[in-house]
Amino acid sequence: MTSEEKLHLLQSEIDSVAQATLVTPLASLPDWGSLSILLVIVHFEEKHKLAVTGAQVRACQTVGDLLALIP
Amino acid sequence: MHSSLHNIRLAGLAVTTGSVARDYIADGLAAGIERAPLERIAKTIGLRERRVAAAGITALDLCADATTRLLSEMGLDATSIDAVIFVTQTPDHAQPNNASLLHGRLGLSKSAPTYDISMGCSGWVTGLHQATLLCAHGGAARVLLCAGDTLSRLTNPGDRAADPLFGDAGSATIVEKTGRSAPLHFVLGADGSGAEAIIVKQGGARQPAGPLALYTDAEGNCTHAANLVMNGADVFSFTLREIPGAIQAVMRLAGQGPEAVDALVLHQANRFIVSTLAKKVGIPEAKASSSAFERYGNQSSASIPCALIDALGERLEASPLKIVGCGFGVGLAWGAFAGEFGPLTTAPILPFPR
Repeated sequence: MTSEEKLHLLQSEIDSVAQATLVTPLASLPDWGSLSILLVIVHFEEKHKLAVTGAQVRACQTVGDLLALIP
Repeated sequence: MHSSLHNIRLAGLAVTTGSVARDYIADGLAAGIERAPLERIAKTIGLRERRVAAAGITALDLCADATTRLLSEMGLDATSIDAVIFVTQTPDHAQPNNASLLHGRLGLSKSAPTYDISMGCSGWVTGLHQATLLCAHGGAARVLLCAGDTLSRLTNPGDRAADPLFGDAGSATIVEKTGRSAPLHFVLGADGSGAEAIIVKQGGARQPAGPLALYTDAEGNCTHAANLVMNGADVFSFTLREIPGAIQAVMRLAGQGPEAVDALVLHQANRFIVSTLAKKVGIPEAKASSSAFERYGNQSSASIPCALIDALGERLEASPLKIVGCGFGVGLAWGAFAGEFGPLTTAPILPFPR
């Protein structure tokens, strides 16, 4: 899966990042918060079979950082 | 720990909620939050309404009301209870224990011992396991299990992640020894390495009192040392990591595939967690209700009995149902159960004071 495909998949499931690009700071998204973090954890689990922690997601500054968690 | 216990039945269930109705969207609008993000969160998490305790009302009051209504519904005298177990993390006092206070209030027999269990969202299952042990091996014929909390008092109104989740309630469950042999199965566990993921730091012996300086986290949520502070993402990661396996293990112990389950009754953490777990264990979401969460909020240890009555009350009164369930949360701890429940007596979910 290319990083563009990963981004589209993430955006199709999580409204708060729907308009974001790879370099958009997560903190600048109006709806980014604890719910988005839960949605990201489930998204990674279901779509990428990847278990990530809340701390890993919180440490990400941008959408690109999030996608970089996927090996 | 895996445990299967025979010759016991769940005979009755009652839940009493707090009397103050709170509405997630109305509260959010009053706090100056825009409607659109509130509605998005309401839709995903299932946050609608909850019931919190009125000033001066404790988990003991709510459980006492549930017990009185249940005993009356079952036509039982309080003196027929052989032991009482009280599951709570919001007891009336540091001493004596809530079960003894309830014992005195209801006029239970002097030969009935009292036990408190300090557990939260997994606590009803832990308490049910202890109650069934007392009936199966401990010389009791009828055990009263009370489980409830007033967590809404512990959250900070400035904590928009945790404060809107919790409702207050007390439950009463009667477990009886019986000649019936269908067993109840339990899978219980804990991961104490995650103990700080849900914590109220102040108020115990380690930190009895002290300054209550406000701390604001990266998402703008405010809490102090006497508040319930929850790292939602860590609790959620724990839930995804441990709970599907516990539910699958208890189904294996019961020799029951997901297709044979009439209902999956989960701790009402929120709708998103309930539906995610149902999906992961292969049970249709329609069999895993979260309507108790949407109507009453996350009621800690009272949430599973509340969900049983809310989603299945009439069916449980009428005939046996194959039920699998799981409580999970503070500790971090979990308890999964599987077995045939019903026919049994339920009392309606009512607020207190009425």
